Amino acid sequence: MPEDWDKDVYRQPDSRTPEVDKKTGLPNPAVIVSKLFYYTVDLPVTTFRDWVERQREKNKFYYYHRHFRRVPDLTECTLGDFLCYYEAEMQWRRDYKVDQEIMKILQERLRACQQREGHSYVQNCAKELEQFKQGAKGYQSRYGDLGAYASSRKCLMKQKHRMIEEKEREQAASEA
Amino acid sequence: MAPADFRPCDHWSHRGVSKMAVLSVLRAAAALVARRPFHKLQPLAGNSLLKAFPAAPKVAVRHGSHGKQMFVIKSSQYYDTRFLRLLTFYTLLTGIPVTVFITFVNIFIGEAELAEIPEDYVPEHWEYHKHPITRWIAKYLYDPPEKGYEKMMALISIEEEKADLRLKQLEVRRLMRERGDGAWYQYETLDKNLIDNSHKSNPDY
Repeated sequence: MPEDWDKDVYRQPDSRTPEVDKKTGLPNPAVIVSKLFYYTVDLPVTTFRDWVERQREKNKFYYYHRHFRRVPDLTECTLGDFLCYYEAEMQWRRDYKVDQEIMKILQERLRACQQREGHSYVQNCAKELEQFKQGAKGYQSRYGDLGAYASSRKCLMKQKHRMIEEKEREQAASEA
Repeated sequence: MAPADFRPCDHWSHRGVSKMAVLSVLRAAAALVARRPFHKLQPLAGNSLLKAFPAAPKVAVRHGSHGKQMFVIKSSQYYDTRFLRLLTFYTLLTGIPVTVFITFVNIFIGEAELAEIPEDYVPEHWEYHKHPITRWIAKYLYDPPEKGYEKMMALISIEEEKADLRLKQLEVRRLMRERGDGAWYQYETLDKNLIDNSHKSNPDY
């Protein structure tokens, strides 16, 4: 996890530090172990990391995310315009990849919620579960069963069949 | 000491080595051998020529270790160790420089940070990658992905024009053949003036 995650989405459980009420004069072994860990592992690693960060500060450079322009869809291409077909196909592929990543993020959120809540995930994770269900249903209806050689044309045909079935169902519902 | 009537041999004198020096060295060695401690020359004992070392009587030996040293017969491990040695050597020959190089790049140059694209700035195609080595490869070895996209579009447009022209050619051929007023399907016929019409105007009677 990066350091700057969305604090509202992946919420940490509230920390409750208890009041220290020492009744013995003996040293606390947990404190000894934690201090030992701090001085042998934590401090050297942190100082090394800080040194590395100082070296990296000297030559800083940036990277950007690609922005793609929207091009006409497959439905907006005239028949036989293969260049339009190609650009629409590439755009559909990029959108397919984006939708896959969206599904991965929803899954990750649900997983994080379950890990966070423990045994009370059944009632506390309802929102994430609902989001994931909606996303999965949409993904399945749009991209499901297209296979490995999926293309924008096959997806369009799938949508066409979906609309035909919907229309038939409407007709059957209005007749009945 | 060598006797006084000694004459040096020819085959030694021309090499610059005198026999006297060699003999004196040998005598010194014999004197040293005679003065060596007794137990180290035990294998030489019992030899009738060396009366300086009488044979010692045999004593029962008790070792402080695990008994008699055995000659264990097992298969040779020479080839196995040689293989492993050569394997490690050739792996580390390029492995260590590459590891050191990558470590230095990661420590001293570090990865890029994500930033928003500034206004009126079009980043180069390598500025979309994070790791410095990936950026270097994208900058100097790879073509920009836009170039691949444009090349594909060029191929598609060429093929599209070819298909279009081929279909047009078939249609044109059909129409020209059908209508007969085009450039194709024109066949050379005889010149009208060569026809002899004289016998056609007078009936054959």
